[in-house]
Amino acid sequence: MDFIACDIVIPGKIIRFLEQYANVAFAGTCDRALVPFGHRVCGWRVGADQRTMTVLFPDEFTRRFLESLQQSGELAVTVEEFPSHETYQFKGHYLLQRAVLDGDVEIVERIRRRFVKSMRPIVPDRPEDVLKAFVPPPALAVEFEVSEIFLQTPGPGAGTRLIPPIEK
Amino acid sequence: MTRLPPEIRPALESGTPGVMVTCSAAGKPNTTVISQVYYVDETHAALSFQFFSKTIQNVRENPRAFVCVFDIPGRAYWVLQLEFQRSETEGPIFDAMDMQIEAIASMTGMSGIFKLRAADVYRVLSVERLQYPPWTDSSSDADASSSG
Repeated sequence: MDFIACDIVIPGKIIRFLEQYANVAFAGTCDRALVPFGHRVCGWRVGADQRTMTVLFPDEFTRRFLESLQQSGELAVTVEEFPSHETYQFKGHYLLQRAVLDGDVEIVERIRRRFVKSMRPIVPDRPEDVLKAFVPPPALAVEFEVSEIFLQTPGPGAGTRLIPPIEK
Repeated sequence: MTRLPPEIRPALESGTPGVMVTCSAAGKPNTTVISQVYYVDETHAALSFQFFSKTIQNVRENPRAFVCVFDIPGRAYWVLQLEFQRSETEGPIFDAMDMQIEAIASMTGMSGIFKLRAADVYRVLSVERLQYPPWTDSSSDADASSSG
């Protein structure tokens, strides 16, 4: 696979969004036959170098997703704050998969709390356990090198590439 | 021929956003949140084309699409493999989706932002309902013990 040397750094504003506000995410990849495949994500963290991201997956149904990811090496992850709909998509190259670490579990706990809190005004009668179950404990971590970030918040700017900036 | 089961309709009509994954001809995936998956008939679904230009570009290059629709109360999600067939900018499917989009926009404070540009009709290649585990005290215990 060819990598283009470029200086991709995830901006601080987006890191704050990921760490303090975002509460829903989904990952996509495709296999060598160009069949797309997706999997829900229960957590995420930005690498200390601000160039990589780790996405955390629950243990259900990951086998086919990982097979596809390892064939193409390309990953796209959309992360949203619901219900404001502020959304970013991160694209990049698969680096590695690993077991879940202590800190990963704590990250998912925080995201689960944010998700339940954000849903409560919308579905006040829904049992808390139903909402908590939507963000299950992590079972697998996948790290990737971020090569592009896109704005996906609904509106006229949706789809705009933020990083690297589009040259005008 | 794969058919959409009637049990999927409440999830499609719940107003809960879904997720779509497409792939360019060069093999680069794209993931986006979609506000609506519209039941056309037993073998077809339509997706709203609003602003996601990369998705539209991808399905014109490579007609395959993956869609996930959430059923949070049922602790499940529906996974669909689709194939793009055509885009409609008028007619009964477009009108029905336009009305639903307006309703969703109104409910979510996105009036004036959600705007249907086309109804993209897809053939259903496969559909699967995936159940995820309930939240229990042991889920919490698992978190706690893992976090040390």
